[in-house]
Amino acid sequence: MTSLRRVALVGGGATRFGVRAATWAELVQEAGAALYRALPELAEVEVDSLFVGAAEPERFAFQSHVAPLAAEQLGIRPRRILQRTELACASGQSAIRSAYAAIASGLSDIAVAVGVEKMNLPSMAEANTAMACVMDRAWDGVHGATAPPFFAMVAQRHMLEHGTTEEQLAAVSEKNHRFANTNPTAQFYEKRFDREKLLRLPLVAPPLRLGDCSSMTDGAAAVVLVAEEHARRFTRTPVWVRGTGQYSDFHNLAHAGSLTEWRGLTIAAQEAFRGAHIGPKDLDLAELHDCFTISEIVEYEALGLCAPGEGGRYAAEGRSDLGGEVVVNPRGGLLGCGHPLGATGIAQALEVYQQFAGLVPSARQVPSPTWALVHNLSGSANVHSVMLYGGAA
Amino acid sequence: MADDASPPTRRPAASVEVARPPKPEEPKRKPGATPFLLDFYPLEDERSTRVSRFFDSLREGRFTTTRCPKDGLLWPPRAVCPECHTEALEWTELPGRGHLYAFSAVLAGAPLGMEADLPFVVGLVDLEGTTLRLFGRIVGRPWNECRIGAPVRVEPYTIDDGRVFFRFRVDGP
Repeated sequence: MTSLRRVALVGGGATRFGVRAATWAELVQEAGAALYRALPELAEVEVDSLFVGAAEPERFAFQSHVAPLAAEQLGIRPRRILQRTELACASGQSAIRSAYAAIASGLSDIAVAVGVEKMNLPSMAEANTAMACVMDRAWDGVHGATAPPFFAMVAQRHMLEHGTTEEQLAAVSEKNHRFANTNPTAQFYEKRFDREKLLRLPLVAPPLRLGDCSSMTDGAAAVVLVAEEHARRFTRTPVWVRGTGQYSDFHNLAHAGSLTEWRGLTIAAQEAFRGAHIGPKDLDLAELHDCFTISEIVEYEALGLCAPGEGGRYAAEGRSDLGGEVVVNPRGGLLGCGHPLGATGIAQALEVYQQFAGLVPSARQVPSPTWALVHNLSGSANVHSVMLYGGAA
Repeated sequence: MADDASPPTRRPAASVEVARPPKPEEPKRKPGATPFLLDFYPLEDERSTRVSRFFDSLREGRFTTTRCPKDGLLWPPRAVCPECHTEALEWTELPGRGHLYAFSAVLAGAPLGMEADLPFVVGLVDLEGTTLRLFGRIVGRPWNECRIGAPVRVEPYTIDDGRVFFRFRVDGP
């Protein structure tokens, strides 16, 4: 890492997430407007590179070649790198990792990473088709494998192997929905869920209920990453990329191995922590990929925040809540904010920036954070992507 | 302008016929069926895939996959071994029985062409005598009467346009 340049996250903006009366391109325009409002010092002409996190625009928006389309919406004319990054649910973080790599290597100085997904269609069967194609379509998707039944099997095995309960799943959902009530961009900003209500919601894929699942969401978010010499021009509180890691070892579900031990996340996180010489217990906040309640529980364990099998208790005891050991998903998570695939990873990074800058409402402000981790899984948790961010220094 | 009206000159037939690979054809489909390639089923014939024998065998009731002489069973069936990269793979029969390792059900939110199947059960099956754990549709029991460990057997089935696929049928408590 010593030969790489330091890279700072200096701010960004997001659209309101939800069922939006707006097209794919209009969502990008909105994210751009929010970005330029937040960074008045940023001139479009300075942005030399644009990375566009978009999972399935061909299916959801019937549009290919989306990187220049996004550039045009943002008024950016990239002269170094323009590309789309696709990694299903982690497409947004892939845009950030690519921007980081470009700046660290010296290819780019000022880059925008924008993420977007338009998922609500007149035919939701069509949207579900897109989701099933995230799997190995010819051998797994063909059986009707979308995300809910897969993560339901993770929950079923976790309950069997570790005694995890529906109440513990609901604890994750309650926490993340409560945080979403502080976030006006969240899909469920105005919707209240207590544990009793969550446990009465209908089953989607047993044992998972509606409140255990993130939603099909429209939304976009954008952040700016810059080389060190530019950072102070945009913000007094640059957030530094201090590590990154990624791991994938299968795609077809036949090779998933244990459903409840996400070894790939452990490996990706170790790689991210390596350069910073810190560990999971040093984190102040973590934006974890809670596509389902059970995901957040398995992630506590794989990250080493708690012992294997203890994830359900960790949530129920409030150890991942404000006032606990590590605040997990203060933004509201995918459960509370919704999950526009390409936008999620960018919105998580934006939350980290705003937490470090003290720009979030006090009801979710983590006191003086120093270290933050962002995690995205994609597909059937067969890819794990991790970014580690640090404050001042 | 007589020249314009005359038929285009035909090229003399080549003395040697160049063998062209056969072109994939769209199978006959029921009117109103989901457009081909927007459904989930793979193209199965020898013009479209190098593992067409999997589907031919399935049609005859045999559940097979490719095997690398050096690296063993490969799933799904493949053209090239991912370990040693040989293309000299063999076909081998798989046991048609296994046990449920995990299952759930799709109660809402089915993809195109699967809405009529709701609710349906899916699961992971440990295939007897192998290290393979295959994902598939589980039939024969509603989800709330399935249990982990239940015996299942592989069941080939035919889809509307004549293509064939497999699912698992619960075979006991």
